[in-house]
Amino acid sequence: MQGAAAAENKIFQALADPSRRAIFESLTRGEAAVKDLTSRFEISQPAVSQHLAALKDAGLVNARREGRYIFYRVDPRGMKPLVDWIAHYRAFWTESVDRLEQLLEDMDE
Amino acid sequence: MTVIDKTADAQTESISFELDLRHSPAKVWRALTDPELLTKWLLPVTNFKLVPGADFTFNTQPHPGWDGTVNCRILESDEPKRLRYAWVVMELDTVVTFTLTPTDSGTRLSLVQSGFKPNQKQNFGGARYGWKLMGGKLVDVLAETA
Repeated sequence: MQGAAAAENKIFQALADPSRRAIFESLTRGEAAVKDLTSRFEISQPAVSQHLAALKDAGLVNARREGRYIFYRVDPRGMKPLVDWIAHYRAFWTESVDRLEQLLEDMDE
Repeated sequence: MTVIDKTADAQTESISFELDLRHSPAKVWRALTDPELLTKWLLPVTNFKLVPGADFTFNTQPHPGWDGTVNCRILESDEPKRLRYAWVVMELDTVVTFTLTPTDSGTRLSLVQSGFKPNQKQNFGGARYGWKLMGGKLVDVLAETA
């Protein structure tokens, strides 16, 4: 039921940091370069780059180079492990409540 | 008996089910709280005690990156109406709530697993708040994925 647990863990770890989450939220509104993000948040450029690297490592954002700048944007596929995780649990509970109903039939009052 | 998956499409933060059972609330409560019965329908359980604050674990097969342990803590036990416990798998921190309502034919059982948010001990309130704020946008991102 938890096959993709490591990937899910990475996503949650990446998003657990408030600054990184703010950067990710900002990118959900459109792509941006490091300099845009540095001016948008009160964080140094190396810190922004580090947060972006963590988001990229978790598969949450991807990057494209244009001239001197690298633009970052949200990778929608990055959230898939989380969607899978919820789907796993939906299937897990569906099977479990089936067993619960069967068990209740077999139990004494 | 019909199981209705009541989870709304846009509602990615919780999973909910509602079941109409032709059994008394007392009997359903027993199935939810007897360790032997829990093991039969849910998962093998260790140290289960119906005391608020008490920790217990469910144990399933290990997977790569996960030892198969679900860490739980009783949050509320109101026999035979409501049982709530924390359901934590590594960084994922959720709450499972069972609500039993007597009906003419037996019991309506509602099951909700809510949360699906980061478990960050150092900045617990902040993380929860932030995750909530992000909920709406997260849904947008999820919609693009589909």
